Amino acid sequence: MSARFRWLIIGPSIVYLAMFAAFTLAGSIYLSLQNRTLGEKLSPFVGIRNFQRLFNDHRFHNALAVSAIWELVTVFGTMVLATALAVALYEYVKRRQLRDLLCLLFLIPILLPRVAVAYIWRFIYSPTLGIANYLGTQVGLPPSIFLSSPDGALYWVAAVDIWQWALFYTVIIAKLIETLPPEPLEAAKMDSAGTLVTYGQIILPMLSAPMLSLALVKSIESLRSFDLIFIMTGGGPGTATETLDLLVYQVGLNLTGRVSYASAMSLVLLIVTAAGLAAIWKGTRKWAV
Amino acid sequence: MGSLVTKAIGYALLAIAAAVAVLPILWTLINSFKELHDIITPIPVFIFVPTLENYSTILGSSAVLNGLKNSVFVVFGSVFFGAILGIPAAYAIARSSLRAKAELQFFFLSMRFTPPVAIAVPLVVLYLQLNLYDSVTGLVLVYLVVSLATIVWLSVPAFARVPLEIEEAARMDGCSSFVVMTRFAIPVALPSLFGALVFTFVLLWNELLLALILTAKNGTLPVVAAAITSLGKEVPWGVINATTIILTVPPLLVVGLILRFIKINARAR
Amino acid sequence: MNRTVLLAASLAFAFSAGAANAQNQCVGKVPELRVIAQASPSVLVTEANLPEFEQKWKTKVTITKFGEQERRAKARLDLSLGAGVYHVIYMEEGNLAEYVKANWLYPIKPLVPTEYDFDDYRKDMSSIATIDGVQYYAPFEGGGDILMYRKDILDAKHIKVPTTFDELEAAIKAVHDPAHGIYGWAMRGERGFGMNVWRWIPLYVMNGGKWLTDDGKPAFAGDIGVKATQQYLDLMKYTPPGGGSASWSDAVEAFRSGQVAFFIEVDVFGPWMEDPSKSNIVGKVGYAPPPAPLPSAGWAHGWAISTVAVKDNDDCLKAVAGDFVGWSTSKEMEQRRLKAGMISDIGRQSTLTSDAYKKAVNPDWLKAVLTTQPETRVLFLRRPEWPQVGDSLGLVLEQLSTGQRADVAGALKEASDQAEDALSN
Repeated sequence: MSARFRWLIIGPSIVYLAMFAAFTLAGSIYLSLQNRTLGEKLSPFVGIRNFQRLFNDHRFHNALAVSAIWELVTVFGTMVLATALAVALYEYVKRRQLRDLLCLLFLIPILLPRVAVAYIWRFIYSPTLGIANYLGTQVGLPPSIFLSSPDGALYWVAAVDIWQWALFYTVIIAKLIETLPPEPLEAAKMDSAGTLVTYGQIILPMLSAPMLSLALVKSIESLRSFDLIFIMTGGGPGTATETLDLLVYQVGLNLTGRVSYASAMSLVLLIVTAAGLAAIWKGTRKWAV
Repeated sequence: MGSLVTKAIGYALLAIAAAVAVLPILWTLINSFKELHDIITPIPVFIFVPTLENYSTILGSSAVLNGLKNSVFVVFGSVFFGAILGIPAAYAIARSSLRAKAELQFFFLSMRFTPPVAIAVPLVVLYLQLNLYDSVTGLVLVYLVVSLATIVWLSVPAFARVPLEIEEAARMDGCSSFVVMTRFAIPVALPSLFGALVFTFVLLWNELLLALILTAKNGTLPVVAAAITSLGKEVPWGVINATTIILTVPPLLVVGLILRFIKINARAR
Repeated sequence: MNRTVLLAASLAFAFSAGAANAQNQCVGKVPELRVIAQASPSVLVTEANLPEFEQKWKTKVTITKFGEQERRAKARLDLSLGAGVYHVIYMEEGNLAEYVKANWLYPIKPLVPTEYDFDDYRKDMSSIATIDGVQYYAPFEGGGDILMYRKDILDAKHIKVPTTFDELEAAIKAVHDPAHGIYGWAMRGERGFGMNVWRWIPLYVMNGGKWLTDDGKPAFAGDIGVKATQQYLDLMKYTPPGGGSASWSDAVEAFRSGQVAFFIEVDVFGPWMEDPSKSNIVGKVGYAPPPAPLPSAGWAHGWAISTVAVKDNDDCLKAVAGDFVGWSTSKEMEQRRLKAGMISDIGRQSTLTSDAYKKAVNPDWLKAVLTTQPETRVLFLRRPEWPQVGDSLGLVLEQLSTGQRADVAGALKEASDQAEDALSN
């Protein structure tokens, strides 16, 4: 492929994205160096004061921690569950129609509007009016207060996120497995290797590149889950479920419109995200195709 | 014996997953036909007098239909242009040197790092100047960043797995780079490429924050759906349930059709 | 005195004549009127009646509805960044100070045509919409607090309706019986300046609490604040499971499903209890003013006109927008809302005391509302930074009510420090 051809087809995309990124980043940095609230037209430059304040802001630190836990739980939860289900689907459901039906069912949660999902699950989790406690007590489990529990709330909300994404990813990974050449699998089966061994040593390495792609996409999506959390708990109890994107939205748009402070927070989030994901990307490129 | 155990676990896992996937929706479906007092009971009610009022409330609202229309234009537009620009770009990246490939891939992914709230103010100010505020075009331009980034990111691995032999053979037959890409590489990678498109579609279909910030009267479906949660003053559980059912149908149809299309294509190969 | 009267009268005459002129001149001059709102019942009724308004002015009216949080964000962005898409703004009490300081709203009285009888708006709601003597929005929903109780439960346990706070506390303890599915109390617990804080404030004010010290620093971390918080947490013990972070919706539904005996909430929820399609306790609810010395927390939503979207020299746009505000909150419109079954959203005193209204509502409820009305006033901090301050307070309150922390004084101090930070910035 000639270099000319290559840059002809990549060029427009890169130019467009670079322009967009440069502009929005510049605007965001500009804002963060001021002390602007939406209620005022102008604002003086305060340099890096917002960043200095972030350093001492306990609520910001808490939000970083909550976001980190949220990321780990939702990404790992999604990938592990999706892989397990995809493998089970591929291995144990041979009939075409049943497999397609299951795939369609698994696609439903992710297509629901996030807002609706949040309300529905919030209602299901209601300690007195929801069906979760009702079913739980029927099978002998003690009733839970779910979203009111300071320690458990984050995980109950994460379960909803995983509900949407893991089932979706199951379909994708199952389709990925289907695209693999069948020969290595047959060879392994003939060697009567156990199923887990088969999958572990043969299939997954072959799919490592696309699966890594999926994991990174999920990581980024998880950073945007504030609308789910906001409706289910509002960030509570206390700040137990207050992720950084929720805090940024609250501070920047909702409470009193302190956009400069919110921009500073967002930039820190951007740097942390970029650094973290870049590290993961560099680290795993060794075994990516 | 071991394989029987793993088989049982496998079946159980699938059964639970299927149940968990579908039961909340079934419960939502049932509840969408209930009056409010039948929904807010401590003991779930299965026998009740059904009502169609929840559905008539939403279907009667032009806001929902407008939201649907806007969503269709914006999301399809973004995915379409993202595909036109992104799929060739992904191909070129996949056929680049290892180092360039990694750097470029990450560049495209990094476009998704920018948090929406941070860019809200600069974007609105710019859009007001350019007269793009509250327009389908404006939203498509912003969503294009997401769709380009996602499509490229997910398509590079797909192209990477297209055997080089096919392309080399075509090149030796004298085909130009363009033909090699369109007649050989893309068709082989097509199922995965469609997967990337479906993925991007799903991602954008439910996008709320950017749409909320950049639209005023012409909101997309998620924006309208969020509005319905304040209907009346109490939380209108019945209406929310009915809305959920209705809002799921279009994307389900689209995705179902696309999957059909992929299957037919795959079988035809 | 006579001269002033004469001057005022002639001005009024000129104004109304001018208004009539505006009516004639401006028909067809304003192609579109854009409104931002929440999908509350009153807004929906207004929307249903739009054709007659559109006909009158040959104007297309677009009401864009949002959820509560989104509406706040959208309105703020629209006004602040100068987008000026929305001419008429749905206003609430918590943000008024901020909007007024930023000069985003017109004083509403001059813009509403006199034929709509501005002084008929409920005094409690008008005062909430007023800052420094100037009213900025025309109210169509709002109210104060009311005590709701289950007559049947009280009768069964031979308890009389409490008239003081101490009697209320005692009564709650007496009826609390979780083993039989009855809880003494329901209350908001979820964090938020309009959520759990809203229920904490009356306790604070009842004990004599003030928001700011003489030198402008937050005062709620003092002894009175601690006492009020103790009372709040005490009451929380008698709420259904999950009460520590219950939203107002959760609390209402808990009461409406029949599990709760006593409940103080905004009075508009009263008629909800009597709606057979939504309530399981129709006919079993009693109503009374909040037991003394609990104050009544006032709130009001209404229409305001944006200075960003409606320029000062655009007389026709002002006329149409003003007429919209008046028309949508007029006596006629309120009667239509009543006919449509919307009993809770009443902004006018005349509607409240009209025969049609008396027929439509539970008489005990109406009596309680009218008795409480003079007491209803703004209890929260009237500063632009109120949402920030309230949010910090709500946060620690929820931490306390869900057992995340137990140090009341320390929690309040933390919230107070953050509030001080917000107020000084």
